[in-house]
Amino acid sequence: MKRLSLYFVLGFLFAIGILIFFTDDAKALDEKNCLSCHGNEGLTKTTEAGGKISLFVSEKDVNTASHRYIDCTTCHSEEPHDTASPLNKLSLAEKCGTCHQYEYRLHLSSVHGQQLLQGNPDVATCVDCHSQEGSPHSVIRVLEYNAPTYKKNIAGTCARCHDDAELMADYGIVEKVYESYMRSFHGKAIQLGTYEITQLDKATCTNCHGFHDVKSVRDPVSPVAGLDNLAKTCEQCHAGAGVEFASGFLGHKEASTDNVPAVHYTELFFTIVLITVIAFGALVVVAAIVRFTINKWRA
Amino acid sequence: MSAMAQAASLAGSNEEKISRFDVHQIIQHAGLMVSFVILVFTGLPLKFHDWAISQWWVGVWGGIEVTRTAHIAAAWIMLAVCLYHVFYLLYTILVKKKPFPVKIIPGPSDFREYYQEMAYYLGFRKTRPLVDRFSWKEKFDYWAIFWGMPVMFISGFIMMYPVFVTKFLPGWFVSAALVAHSDEAMLALVWIVLVHIFFNHFTPGHLPLNTSIFTGKVNVKKYREEHALEYERMTGKPVVEKPVEGVPPGQVNLPDGKM
Repeated sequence: MKRLSLYFVLGFLFAIGILIFFTDDAKALDEKNCLSCHGNEGLTKTTEAGGKISLFVSEKDVNTASHRYIDCTTCHSEEPHDTASPLNKLSLAEKCGTCHQYEYRLHLSSVHGQQLLQGNPDVATCVDCHSQEGSPHSVIRVLEYNAPTYKKNIAGTCARCHDDAELMADYGIVEKVYESYMRSFHGKAIQLGTYEITQLDKATCTNCHGFHDVKSVRDPVSPVAGLDNLAKTCEQCHAGAGVEFASGFLGHKEASTDNVPAVHYTELFFTIVLITVIAFGALVVVAAIVRFTINKWRA
Repeated sequence: MSAMAQAASLAGSNEEKISRFDVHQIIQHAGLMVSFVILVFTGLPLKFHDWAISQWWVGVWGGIEVTRTAHIAAAWIMLAVCLYHVFYLLYTILVKKKPFPVKIIPGPSDFREYYQEMAYYLGFRKTRPLVDRFSWKEKFDYWAIFWGMPVMFISGFIMMYPVFVTKFLPGWFVSAALVAHSDEAMLALVWIVLVHIFFNHFTPGHLPLNTSIFTGKVNVKKYREEHALEYERMTGKPVVEKPVEGVPPGQVNLPDGKM
């Protein structure tokens, strides 16, 4: 009996040992052993122009990427070492589009895709939003909490470009879209909510502007172009909302004498009341504190 | 100290209490206080949404849906308390035929009282002003609610039912309501913390808690100091010294340093 319990204990420890020493993260599929060279951080190649390009592929990233069970050669097809592959944003999107055809077509119709077709390298394409590092090797699924496309993170992902005043100035986007969104009820509700998907049923950038087919607000087919379109977009959540409801939106801008002046004057009025009354109260309190302190000190 | 004032002071031993508030007023204040605190605790994280503590605090409540529900529930309680007060007022005047509470209505005496109080704090006067049933600060607190409550209720209602409201009102009302709600709330909170709590609880003689609004009773001696004019009327014992040459009239005959 004693011996039996000893076996049990040993077996238990052995099992724990296996769990501790032989667990490993899931490994990405690498049938051609590409990572034995490309997993090396120092691996570079010199282009014809004389520039150095890193050929490093982070094994850590690939192991957690959503495509980890798709072999390297699925995308880097045929003879990867012999094929001259043009490496630009458009070719990257095309590659994603060989499988994700629907999303690719929507993307090409979007303001980002249209610019991409015209050779503008500034715009976002697939990997810019779907990977934290903007790398096709670390694309993760939309519903993972740390995905840049997870609902709670979307505004921050758009902000990577759209909160860059210098970059946006080139496109005539002068509104501080990220800041004003975060100040809005939608932004506050997303920010103050947790990561649970049940708490994320609030509008973020993509709910109004679209995502794969995101349109410029100057494009008449944009869901936010004009009050009629905007009202229809509001209605998706605010049942029965009309044009009048939509007209209350300040349009990512501060209220001013030019932009919804009534709100601007309301703000001015309440700010003056607030400052006057509090200054008056503070004066009395400070005077009282001084007097009571002197009284105490003299006593 | 005059003989008369001494007698009055002797009469007002520590045990004796004067009834200042009735049970309805105690309930109304308690209801207002509890709902106000809940509203502040569930509303502030929205105002300071980018502070890390706000996100933690909303998490403590169990998410933004919970704070929103609590905020709305507390708002309805506050509205109920205000309606209770209005009906209580009408009932006491119209049914019980009690005189209209004129003492809460602001008048020129409040400006005099304010001026005298500031003069005392700044060292231009030896004594604090004589106060009737309500001090100017109490009147300010009371009437501020008559301004603040409608602002908060209307703006809050607009934000609760924006789609419904914009069927009748222009769309900018919703954006304006947010501004009004947010600023008026800050005004109320800062005033309550800075002025109301300071003068009612943190001043010498009251620290740490002035219980009069919770028990309805005030110590006779304290009453004589704080509401001298009403005390005189109630007891017939004058607190004010007869005018003496060289001493300006209207000074309270209290030991120095007391209030």
